[in-house]
Amino acid sequence: MTEKQILMRKIATYDFAIVELNLYLDTHPKDKEAHRKLEEYETKSMALREKYESEYGPIIFRDSPDNRMKWIKNPWPWDLCEED
Amino acid sequence: MWVYEKKLQYPVKIKNPNPAMAKIIISQYGGPDGELGASLRYLSQRYSMPYPELKAILTDIGTEELAHLEMIGAMVYQLTRNLTPEEIKEAGMDAYFVDHTTGIYPSSASGVPFTAAYLQSKGDVLTDLHENLAAEQKARTTYDNILRFCDDPDVVEPIRFLRAREIVHYQRFGEGLRIATDNLDSKNFYAFNASFDKGCRKKAQGNNR
Repeated sequence: MTEKQILMRKIATYDFAIVELNLYLDTHPKDKEAHRKLEEYETKSMALREKYESEYGPIIFRDSPDNRMKWIKNPWPWDLCEED
Repeated sequence: MWVYEKKLQYPVKIKNPNPAMAKIIISQYGGPDGELGASLRYLSQRYSMPYPELKAILTDIGTEELAHLEMIGAMVYQLTRNLTPEEIKEAGMDAYFVDHTTGIYPSSASGVPFTAAYLQSKGDVLTDLHENLAAEQKARTTYDNILRFCDDPDVVEPIRFLRAREIVHYQRFGEGLRIATDNLDSKNFYAFNASFDKGCRKKAQGNNR
């Protein structure tokens, strides 16, 4: 696996925990421990996302001429690259 | 509204194309218990939900289903790369190919195009939640059936992930159903439709929801 893929897997791992805790909290809004964990994973995901976006391009689009080119650029999530 | 993230919820990297596999996995794209139907079902039902937790859970699960739809699309796309007409014919994918080439089209494994008749939005909180509990189990069975035909770990891993999500969603809808019935008269949950008979709801609950 490339550095880029390893970093994306780490982000996906934290993001999965975020999705899961978010659903859980919809039906258990008073669970403080789950709130704490959600916050912890959001902080961790955010830091890794910033690193990924500065090195490989945006995950969520924010407009600037430089970002526009990076947003358009391959690979898109369904693409397989050479290194795959 | 929604914001797109340029990433998959779970990685899909399938090294070996396999059109026979694509032909069955497409059912979770546009088939009777697929991710498109799941997303439309929940995102449509949420408007008539009488309790805020249920609006939240339907919005959030309906959104996650769109991420699953994208994963299935990526799987079918990667399974049908670089094929010759001979390989397509041999795998029995020629009927799909003649209509869609290797484009991704929402249909079932047997070739029936996606239809909104696969889902219901009944405007009744209890009916809709039961529809959703059944839908999650039907999708789980479909993933179990897909797994009977696959041995490529690149395919098995994302399918197992999606299968596990059906079980979690079932759990959350079960809790949603409990939240709904906790707001109703335990002597007769079906005395009125809490999504429609708003006056009755207030009287029966005696709380300020």
